[in-house]
Amino acid sequence: MKVSFKLNGRPVEVDVEPNEILLDTLRLKLGVTSVKRGCERGECGVCTVLLDGEPAYSCLLLTAQVEGREVVTVEGLRGDELAEKIARSLVEQGAVQCGFCTPGFILTIYAGLKKGLIKNVEDAKKLIEGNLCRCTGYLKILKAVEKLLA
Amino acid sequence: MFYKLPSFEYFKARSVGEALELAGKIGDYRFLAGGTDLLVDLKIGRYKPRAILDIGGLRELSYIINDGSRVRIGALTRLEDILRSSVVRERLPLLHEAVYHMASWQIRSVATIGGNIGNASPAADTAPPLLVHDAIVKTRSVRGERAVRLEEFIQGPRRTLLEPGEMIVEFEVPASPGLEEYWAYRKFGRRSAFTLSVVGLAVGAEFLEGSPVFKVSLNSVAPKPVRARSVEEYLKGKTLTDSVIETASKIVQQDISPITDVRATAEYRRHLATVLLKDALKEIAGRLRR
Amino acid sequence: MALEDPFSILEKYLSAEEYVVVGREFTRVDALDKALGRALFTEDYFIRYLQGNALFIKQVLSPHPHALIKAIHVDEAMGVAGVKAVVTHRDIPGVNQVGYALPDQPLLAERKVRYVGEVVALVAAESWEKAVEASQLVKVDYEPLPYVLDPLEAMSRTDILVHDEAGSNIAFKTRVRKGDVEKGFAEADVVVENEYRTHHQDHVYLETEAALAIPDSEGRITIIGAAQHPHLARDIAARVLGVPAGRVKVVVPYLGGGFGGKDDEGPLTISKAALVAYLTGRPAFIVYSREESIRIHPKREATIIRYKSGARRDGKLTAIDVTIIHDTGAYANRAPFILWRATMHASGPYEVPNARVDGYAVYTNKVYQGSFRGFGNPSIQFAVERQMDQLAEKLGLDPVEFRLMNILRPGSRTLTNQELDHSVGVGEALKKVAERSNWISKRREFDAFNKAEKRFKKGIGVGVAWHGISTSRGVPDWSNAVLKVEKDGSVVVFTGIVEMGQGSPTSSHVQIVSEILGVPPEMVRVVFGTSDAPDTGATHASRGTGIGGIGVEVAAGKIRERLARLAGDLLGVEPDKLVFREGRVYPRDNPERYIRWVDLVREAYARGVELSATGYFFLPKGKFDDTTGQGFAYPAFSYIVVVSEVEVDTETGVVRVTRVWPALASGRIISPLQVEGQVEGAVAQGLGYTLFEKLVFDERGGIVNADLTDYVIPTALDMPVVEKPIYVEDVYKYGALGAKGVGEMALIPLPASIANAVSHALGVNVTRLPLTPEYILQLEGVLRR
Repeated sequence: MKVSFKLNGRPVEVDVEPNEILLDTLRLKLGVTSVKRGCERGECGVCTVLLDGEPAYSCLLLTAQVEGREVVTVEGLRGDELAEKIARSLVEQGAVQCGFCTPGFILTIYAGLKKGLIKNVEDAKKLIEGNLCRCTGYLKILKAVEKLLA
Repeated sequence: MFYKLPSFEYFKARSVGEALELAGKIGDYRFLAGGTDLLVDLKIGRYKPRAILDIGGLRELSYIINDGSRVRIGALTRLEDILRSSVVRERLPLLHEAVYHMASWQIRSVATIGGNIGNASPAADTAPPLLVHDAIVKTRSVRGERAVRLEEFIQGPRRTLLEPGEMIVEFEVPASPGLEEYWAYRKFGRRSAFTLSVVGLAVGAEFLEGSPVFKVSLNSVAPKPVRARSVEEYLKGKTLTDSVIETASKIVQQDISPITDVRATAEYRRHLATVLLKDALKEIAGRLRR
Repeated sequence: MALEDPFSILEKYLSAEEYVVVGREFTRVDALDKALGRALFTEDYFIRYLQGNALFIKQVLSPHPHALIKAIHVDEAMGVAGVKAVVTHRDIPGVNQVGYALPDQPLLAERKVRYVGEVVALVAAESWEKAVEASQLVKVDYEPLPYVLDPLEAMSRTDILVHDEAGSNIAFKTRVRKGDVEKGFAEADVVVENEYRTHHQDHVYLETEAALAIPDSEGRITIIGAAQHPHLARDIAARVLGVPAGRVKVVVPYLGGGFGGKDDEGPLTISKAALVAYLTGRPAFIVYSREESIRIHPKREATIIRYKSGARRDGKLTAIDVTIIHDTGAYANRAPFILWRATMHASGPYEVPNARVDGYAVYTNKVYQGSFRGFGNPSIQFAVERQMDQLAEKLGLDPVEFRLMNILRPGSRTLTNQELDHSVGVGEALKKVAERSNWISKRREFDAFNKAEKRFKKGIGVGVAWHGISTSRGVPDWSNAVLKVEKDGSVVVFTGIVEMGQGSPTSSHVQIVSEILGVPPEMVRVVFGTSDAPDTGATHASRGTGIGGIGVEVAAGKIRERLARLAGDLLGVEPDKLVFREGRVYPRDNPERYIRWVDLVREAYARGVELSATGYFFLPKGKFDDTTGQGFAYPAFSYIVVVSEVEVDTETGVVRVTRVWPALASGRIISPLQVEGQVEGAVAQGLGYTLFEKLVFDERGGIVNADLTDYVIPTALDMPVVEKPIYVEDVYKYGALGAKGVGEMALIPLPASIANAVSHALGVNVTRLPLTPEYILQLEGVLRR
């Protein structure tokens, strides 16, 4: 079946199986490799995308479900001032280790800041609960957010 | 890629009418609301339907209406919308609190209240608050509408009264000044966040002729989320003194039948139910004294 | 050439009046690419470049804990359209033997299977769907055998043997005999004896195992794959294929975490992909689903530790008697090395005159034991540090005070009777962290609090740990790297060290080169994780910087000697009076009389000065007697102290770790930001291990919680406050710029410190991990055991 949606600002149309998940469409068909495969059951957060501006697990969405909607990944935030600020802050604070989870964190933090849901570090801590990181212990990620808020 | 979903036909309904019509025609289908539970169930082979009927786009079932004595919540209202709703926060604070502690933003932004209830997991976190509120489940099929008490609607693990061709359209949640102020929620999981309930508990007080009537509900302690009727019966007409709370929190054992699984033992769940209920009642007692 | 002697180079840079890049804030060079999602991991290479071309490999796993393989039928699977190969042990052209320490492990099960999840066959097809479909059609005739899951039972039985040829289920034994233990206990005024138990932990690297093998027309195979030692992976793959090592090349791209797990599973993953590529002549791609990853790859072992220790009234330890039993699972893998590490660290970082330690690695029909951050050390330090707290209590001494009375110092002899001549900063670290955490007043304050408060109890606990650096005993270990200066002055380094998050090739290695050659970091590029570099050893055992960096330092040091001589000639200055800094070379007393680095390099090319060098360094080691466990155990030890503060809800049993104070005596701190990252990350991983991460086995030894829904790891909201680490820079003369190692450190004493804090809070004796609410309630006597 054909599914059309907006990916990183551009309309795309892909031919998918009804049982295809968005994660596979993005990675395998559209080459969006910043979206990672980690658990495939909505438990780890490395496949996070923004769906109409809010974070969602692309492993728990049928591609068919995003018909007519807008999907954004970090590739789509290139040149976006806020996104670049977030990325820079993570880099400067030492919040990037293996980097496998980092794009997902950036998307969640981006959405949180954009929607005004992050007023302090505690807000951020709550909003990133669905992004797991096995390297950093999260503290430097939160420090990076703190610096952004300052 | 590495987790193949079974093959199915996919239908997207553009209206409730169309959804019901398709449902009647297809027979072997599962509704997809947000899909966050369904996709995992499909992956692990719990369901192998011939068709998936995607109703997630039906905006007409996404609403929160403050309707005097009750709040009406459309079945396809996302958990995130419930979390951010001032109506829910003010009038159904138990539900607000439960959703706050539910899953993660990525799931709340997709999952719906109808999906959470319709999935009928023993661990459904929206159930205890809705049970305390004596919520009514409104369903619709080509045969018409039904209104069923939530307590009856969920029959057991993954079993509801929903009939083939029928869908949940709304939750009618009676609100009351008592439950707006005198409530306590506890959720206990294996870690501090983004965790399945080992035991979840909602307690509230309503007022009948000036005296409080307590309502208690738990999840993950029985084949389905339950009202703790023995506790409620015991508390009738009583003041929440320490000894009453102590006794009530023990009586809850009569209302639950937990199992041992990889998340906790039955024994621990029983212990926890008592501890959490005691805490919750103390919290409410504190507010009542003020 | 004496000037290029690695020993003199190491000595020359061991200390300096001032380091310009080392020890300063430094932004690692890979961070931005990773943040922006541009960094490629193994699976990304497949997607970008070989999709549609490479075969997919799906593994067929054993459903039995122990069974004979009577026959494997592949015809039906081969009949599925698109299936190109079904590979079993019969198809292996080389040797079907991948055992790391003992030759006990096939790549593909051969005569029998020994755990639920063991790999029996590989199905390769044009699409993943077809590979999955066909994998279900591979029919294996099994004859189930009785199996054994409990290590204590396995030790005592010979009627059920996991490995028949071994004649026993004890895979390996270790021992230490020091002094006279009986005499030591006779001298003791107090004795404490306990049995401790710890559990299996999964690494949960967010990227699962994957490898992409690409054959070329000349019979060579290149594998891009997730491993922690490209040369080891290459050697094992070559052995399986039966080809010379030079025909196989392994490139390890960015890894989504390793933590030891990919050191064990990496070579196997890579061999499987190589095997299919070799047999089919096609590129082949293997990736594990999360469930497969959890079921297949080796784990942090479960242990049973019986520990008896005694001390005199004056506070001195007199003797220890320790039995360590590791649940090794189906294959030995690195069990002998893990067990040796546990054995030789069984005293903790303390002076113990009399010791008896017996270690047993025991086969069972479960997923097998492997490398995991700490490598056998967290469990033994947990036991040691619980003992120390109880001895202190019996002696009426403060736990920190008692430890300081026995702590290792320069000149001390260790458990293996090895004399420590330098680089022993643990005592200072302990004193400093006790001060920083207000140990004494907090202890008192919490005691008073706990007397007054019924439900919530507070505790503070300390854990002190040591961790031998490099391989143990006389096992050879070396570092190496190739460094080249290009004509434009840029520097390229080749190393086998991988980048798995720790940042050694993208941070500390760059800093070392930048420091020694005085070139800006932007001019340095480290090519990592390739078997084309000289064998640098594995990126494990906290050695990526401390040992992996030696090769980089030595190679850079050699080049600097050559360029210093040239610059000396050009400037008319003694070479050792020159400063290399910020792209300039100048006499120390006259910075204005400089020659630019790029010009100096150009001169070198013009005058025939070789600007490539290897940085080989073989670590000097001493003798060790395996029968007494006495002698030279490790070249040096890295040390850490962690103080943890907890709050326990006595009614729910929940332990909340609120604050952690770390203090490291790990030699030179080259990259403080990365060191903090390692400490914080290890705290998170150790916190999960201590509080709730636990693999659960069913009655057949299968893993019940083989997914991230039921194997839970910490979220951001589980983290305590982690204070900035205290550094005691007790530099080690044979470490890169004096560094020892940090990566594993904080995980090692953390369980002990939390367990001690909980014991303090509740006045109970914690002897088990994890500290689940149910266990806490059992300790309180609220729930039955």
